[in-house]
Amino acid sequence: MRLPLTGVRIVEFGQLIAIPHAVKLLGDMGAEVIRVESHKRLDNYRTHSFYGNETDGKRWWDRAANFYEQNRNKMSVTLDLADGRCLDALRGLIAISDVFAENFTPRVMRNFGLEYDDLRRIKPDIIMASSTGYGYTGPWSGYGAIGFTTEAASGLAHITGYRDGPPALPEIPYADYTAAEHTAFAIMAALAHRARTGEGQFIDVSQSETVTSTMPEAMLDWAVNGRISERIGNGDAVMSPHGTYPCAGQDRWISIAVATDAQWRGLCEGFADALDAAGGDGAAARAWLGDARFADGLSRWRHRDALDALLGAATALCDQHALQAALQARGVPAGAVLDGEQLLFDPHLRARGFYEVAEHAPETGMPPLPYASRPWRFSAAPGGLRTSAPTLGQHNRRALEALLGMDAAAVGALAADGAIGTEPSGAAATAPRTVPMAEQARRGMVGRWDAGHGARVGRGYGGGGG
Amino acid sequence: MALKPQALQGVRVLDLTHHVAGPYCAKLLSDFGADVVKVERLEGDVCRAIAPFAGDDAHPDKGLLFAYLNAGKRGVTLNLKTPTGKGLVERLAAGADILVENFSPRVMPSLGLDYGRLRALNPGLVMVSISNFGQTGPYRDYKAADIVHYALGGLQYIFGAADGPPLKHALRQTQFKAGTNAATAALIGWHHRLFTGEGQHIDVSIHECVASALRDTTSLYAYAGGVRQRQAAHTGDMPRSPVPAADGYVVPIHFGGAVDWGALGDFIGAPELGEERFAAPEGRAANAAALHDALESGMRRWRKYELMREAHKRRGHIYGVVQSPAEVMESEQYAARGYFADMDNPAHSSSGKAIGAAKYPGAPFIMSATPWRQRGPAPALGQHNKEVFCGELGLTAAELGRLRATGAV
Repeated sequence: MRLPLTGVRIVEFGQLIAIPHAVKLLGDMGAEVIRVESHKRLDNYRTHSFYGNETDGKRWWDRAANFYEQNRNKMSVTLDLADGRCLDALRGLIAISDVFAENFTPRVMRNFGLEYDDLRRIKPDIIMASSTGYGYTGPWSGYGAIGFTTEAASGLAHITGYRDGPPALPEIPYADYTAAEHTAFAIMAALAHRARTGEGQFIDVSQSETVTSTMPEAMLDWAVNGRISERIGNGDAVMSPHGTYPCAGQDRWISIAVATDAQWRGLCEGFADALDAAGGDGAAARAWLGDARFADGLSRWRHRDALDALLGAATALCDQHALQAALQARGVPAGAVLDGEQLLFDPHLRARGFYEVAEHAPETGMPPLPYASRPWRFSAAPGGLRTSAPTLGQHNRRALEALLGMDAAAVGALAADGAIGTEPSGAAATAPRTVPMAEQARRGMVGRWDAGHGARVGRGYGGGGG
Repeated sequence: MALKPQALQGVRVLDLTHHVAGPYCAKLLSDFGADVVKVERLEGDVCRAIAPFAGDDAHPDKGLLFAYLNAGKRGVTLNLKTPTGKGLVERLAAGADILVENFSPRVMPSLGLDYGRLRALNPGLVMVSISNFGQTGPYRDYKAADIVHYALGGLQYIFGAADGPPLKHALRQTQFKAGTNAATAALIGWHHRLFTGEGQHIDVSIHECVASALRDTTSLYAYAGGVRQRQAAHTGDMPRSPVPAADGYVVPIHFGGAVDWGALGDFIGAPELGEERFAAPEGRAANAAALHDALESGMRRWRKYELMREAHKRRGHIYGVVQSPAEVMESEQYAARGYFADMDNPAHSSSGKAIGAAKYPGAPFIMSATPWRQRGPAPALGQHNKEVFCGELGLTAAELGRLRATGAV
């Protein structure tokens, strides 16, 4: 079946998330992706979060969760770019491709002679997408960065956090995804232009700038009104109640947002239903309706601390899912705060087939496992998971011989010289040490650990866990 | 010098969106060259009522978020619930390449504007529907807000302090994520049409925009049974949360290998980090609070930008700084790249209200051959009714007057 991006070939020279996730979105929709990596200096995402949390006696570099999340539907070619033959091979691959996407610092690209002006000489209509922490140009362009630091620089962290607390960042490198989503759009726009004019170009993504583009309220409140909003936790400038409240159970919560009087009435009725069902005092919730402090939106906002305390005492008696159902039945925006395990088994996401099961190469020893897919469904030409992420150097011969036309002897010589490979070499060959899951749970590195996860994932997704 | 072309020049977008996610999708298309006609209900997009307003004047022509999201679009008003209004939208859809809408899933079918009907009018149309939970599934008709997407999308559980409630970002991040993904999907659909002539319906779920961007969260469970949670304040490792410096906060990331604690102590001026009790992971875990105190005492000796600059001279020290919106606007890096763009929103003749000239967030990324560009300010309510309905659909002035009188436009 023809997919929307069938016929588009992308060479990805990426690491971590910012470029790999952007290219994943396009690969899912049919683009052919050749991922160039190094067996002498592994992508950081091959070096932690291992299947079964172990690295002994197996191809650990082919068993890392983060790598599999980002790199499905891609080929892997390992090229040691310090070897001139490999650098030539990379240039050759670029010359037969439509897009070259990378997220190294400009210094790295300069050193390899892989800047846009170098590439357009070998492929005049190439589209090159560069994603850097702060941009390809400017006084900070040489600075390395990851999602946590670019989110900090963007302005978003400054206005995020508990009331009276420090700026806050989530546990994941959030800004990398914002950058990746914008980069995927940028590449599509460049492909649209090239399809109609034949002209390629250079795309320069500053990860921090993409995030600043998604917080115009704060930027313009400063630029026009000279005001910088304070950190207000889960509060809202207008809505009340608006927050996250404790529920029955260990670390269980529900988030609720009320924008209108109708939703407020629905909330009181929904709480009454839920409290009655939980053996609590439903009448008390009905009485909120007559409380003058909560009679209209402005009053509720003025008395938001009292309202939050009242709600929090009531939510603590309720199961988060039961309360979500009771409130949604009355038209109130409410949702259980789901942890990773709950998310994987969320009935709505499962009904939509959001998690797709990938088979893994036999030498990884991994059963089929579920992975998050993409945030869209196409009616006529749906994308999808075709192959799981590649093992290290899995497609060396296919890319170098079948695509590039090198002869088998030359490729064999590269392998013999260690310039390409399917196992890490040098300093990269040392297996990382892992911290036992029980110890991670004890130290708070993870919230909890479920030794029975393998059976649960196997039952739910027809595969298994480690 | 002639202006450079834009990537989406000539692409016609019918924007039936309101609030934030849909308008951001259409804004990205517009800012890279598409011709966007935005259809508002007669009362106007709800986004016109969202703060902040210029000078805190809560007038529908002074909303700053609306001005940002809708700059460069042409604006018309229509009552989709009247046969005439529906008929005009159908004519606009018949001539469009891409249609974007973000009503709840029941609305377009209830208006008789479901994809089947639109495809009959325009088989090549790429229709993008953005909704809270998608067009299918048990939560399809659930109500949502940004914080609900954080909760059900899995991002909130891993955000904040281990001993505090799960947290969310300020403002409306999930709306922007959805707008961005929808814009990408629209162009993927359009690319497909370019090569096949075939249109299609694209279902974008805001919920899934959150759930598709979570590193190592569901997979940590599938791979090893771990359930990621909000981090404790002191873990015995480098903190991921911002650490106070003398004049703000820094994010001291050490990348690519183990931290040399003694060398770090020498660098920041906290020699106690070299003590024996901090040498091994077990010791650091047992003395986590003391480790954090030592780190913080060192960091507090530095001004944040100075620490960032000095750190970057050292291998693997990719320190970041927390910048306020004011600091972002003054940032040497943003300035060197010309990120902020001047835009003048002059007074609309109907209201006399003006935002005036201001600096807006500009190009989210730089394209060398087909640059980001804004063609003008956001439209006043119905500003382009005559231009679009008479100029493009061929209505006479008298007909437009009749439509106004009957409440269709």
